[in-house]
Amino acid sequence: MWPALLPAQQPTQVPPPQPPRDTTPPEAYYGVTEYQQARAKLEALMQPHGFTVYIVADMEGLAAVVRNATEMRPEARGGHDPTHETFRRELADEVNAAIAGARAAGATQFVVNEGHGGTLFRNIHPEDLDPEAILIRGYPKPNVMETGLNPKVDAMFIIGAHANARTPGIISHSYAFDSFTVNGHVLNEAGIAAFIGGEMGVPMALAAGDNVLTAETREMLGDLETVTTKIAESRSAAAVFPPAVVQRQIRAAAARAVRRVRLGQIKPLRLERPYHVAFCTRATFQPWVPEATANLKGVQRIVADSTGRCFTYQADAAEDVGNLLNEIEWIVLKP
Amino acid sequence: MRLAVLALVLSAPWSLLPAQSAPYTPPHLPPPHGFRVFIVPDMEGMGSVVDIHEVIAGNEGEQYKPLTSPDYWDHFRGLLTREVNATIAGARLAGARSFVVNEGHGGNLFANILPWELDTGAILVRGFPKPLVMVTGIDSTVGTLMFTGAHAGPGHPGILAHNFAFDTFTVNGRSLNEVGINALIASEYGVAVSLVSGDDAEIAETRDILGGAFIGIVTKYAVGRMAAITFSPTRVRRMLRDSAAVAVRRAMRGDFKPFRLDRPYHVAFALRRSYPASVVAGLDSLNWTGLQKTGERSYSLTTDDARQMGFLLDAIERVVLH
Repeated sequence: MWPALLPAQQPTQVPPPQPPRDTTPPEAYYGVTEYQQARAKLEALMQPHGFTVYIVADMEGLAAVVRNATEMRPEARGGHDPTHETFRRELADEVNAAIAGARAAGATQFVVNEGHGGTLFRNIHPEDLDPEAILIRGYPKPNVMETGLNPKVDAMFIIGAHANARTPGIISHSYAFDSFTVNGHVLNEAGIAAFIGGEMGVPMALAAGDNVLTAETREMLGDLETVTTKIAESRSAAAVFPPAVVQRQIRAAAARAVRRVRLGQIKPLRLERPYHVAFCTRATFQPWVPEATANLKGVQRIVADSTGRCFTYQADAAEDVGNLLNEIEWIVLKP
Repeated sequence: MRLAVLALVLSAPWSLLPAQSAPYTPPHLPPPHGFRVFIVPDMEGMGSVVDIHEVIAGNEGEQYKPLTSPDYWDHFRGLLTREVNATIAGARLAGARSFVVNEGHGGNLFANILPWELDTGAILVRGFPKPLVMVTGIDSTVGTLMFTGAHAGPGHPGILAHNFAFDTFTVNGRSLNEVGINALIASEYGVAVSLVSGDDAEIAETRDILGGAFIGIVTKYAVGRMAAITFSPTRVRRMLRDSAAVAVRRAMRGDFKPFRLDRPYHVAFALRRSYPASVVAGLDSLNWTGLQKTGERSYSLTTDDARQMGFLLDAIERVVLH
């Protein structure tokens, strides 16, 4: 009965011809500084004594978030849901909860790095954030989610994190990849952050996100503090815990995380050098994405792979891997 | 046919007028009761600003339409107003009694500050076009000059780095950024710059130009043209308030000297590469006295009065912003 009421089959739409995509190599970044320089700038601001927490602030894993197309996107980038603004506030609230908890346990300095690209890494309203925190915002920025990370940082948190690509978590993905491994270890975005921090001796101490994220991150990084903000029912449906409860839990977990890092109970993630990175770019991307990726320095296509989207990369420094992520991000996000 | 004749007759008187209007004298503001602080707030160098969408209203001209995002833009107008208020509060603590705020940012055609939220002790100069652009209303009654939210010049690794409509701008061979140009105009009235806030690239560049005397406030550290490590708005306001107080105290003691260059001023500049040819044509058709075309997009002007440079800037802004 119902199908009869639907309009007759739509004529197949021919997509308009796309203009040729500019895939100039990332050397041509518009004014972006080298990651070493960004790191030196942040390092100069670090307190010589005290305890610094570096918080990566993503959005998909926030309490109550379930849908990417609306809730995670501002109007300027195709979103049409006014609740996006509410989720920006929720992001600030959860980050502030983490700061408050860490401060209660003795942390003295806080760096917050915008980790969500929906608004080109400008999600937190700056005045909503704890006024003592240093905020890293904007795009392009060196080493995306780890801008300025340096050995003077004592612990890393990731708030609003999402599960790895091809898992049943809410809006699960990992940068521009379908899979990403270092020396055979599967890493999600929290894992990649922990890997880059780990080489500097900075442990990932707290991850907050849905149940898939918290479970897989524990598996990857060992016994870190986690806060489960929601139970995923599909990639866009979840049983969510009340935001106020989640914030309270983040606050408590952040305090525990700082205490445990001070006791040496949470260890940095260290992998063997050289790092053998293997990754596949997303199958949903246009063919120019793997084409441009293949042109990056040091990246080699896996010949045995029939899809042509899988590559290897070898590095002696984790930050070089971070820089590679940035270059691929630039290919995808370049305005 | 008849309409065409009518149009010809109607347009004829305009073509008889001189291309350049009569010499302009800036309007006089009410005289100050006490020490006057002249504040030029720009937006690119404010704490937290990183992206062009945050500082553009979209109504400045055709090319700016896609560069705005109203939710962000409205937000940052509020932050801008509060930065200015903090600066005024600090200056007042140190004994300043009169405040002139001259919109220095071209977004919304020089109308960014929310007038109802601005300190009630301030006179606000807003709107466009305005003679001398960023220092409209300055005169010798001004005690000290402050630039907040300033940005670095083109080619510097600063947030949204640019310089009016130019790729290069030199006076007597010295490259000047916006603060430098306006400091030179202000020096015609014997006014010195006491405080500049902006990102690290801007402060470093301005120290090269003006020397180390002024108080510089780094609001954020640029890690790209549109990304920064930034202090919170609260912290930036605190720095502005504290530093404005120190700046006024030191200005009253005469610590800051006006920025002087040798006369006559040999001004040379090149219009931005990114501008369409119509902007170049518009500038050519100004027939500005003394303005010489020295290249495809480069011009030079020699003058004994830095204010002439300011009036020319206004004319160029009018060409660019229609």
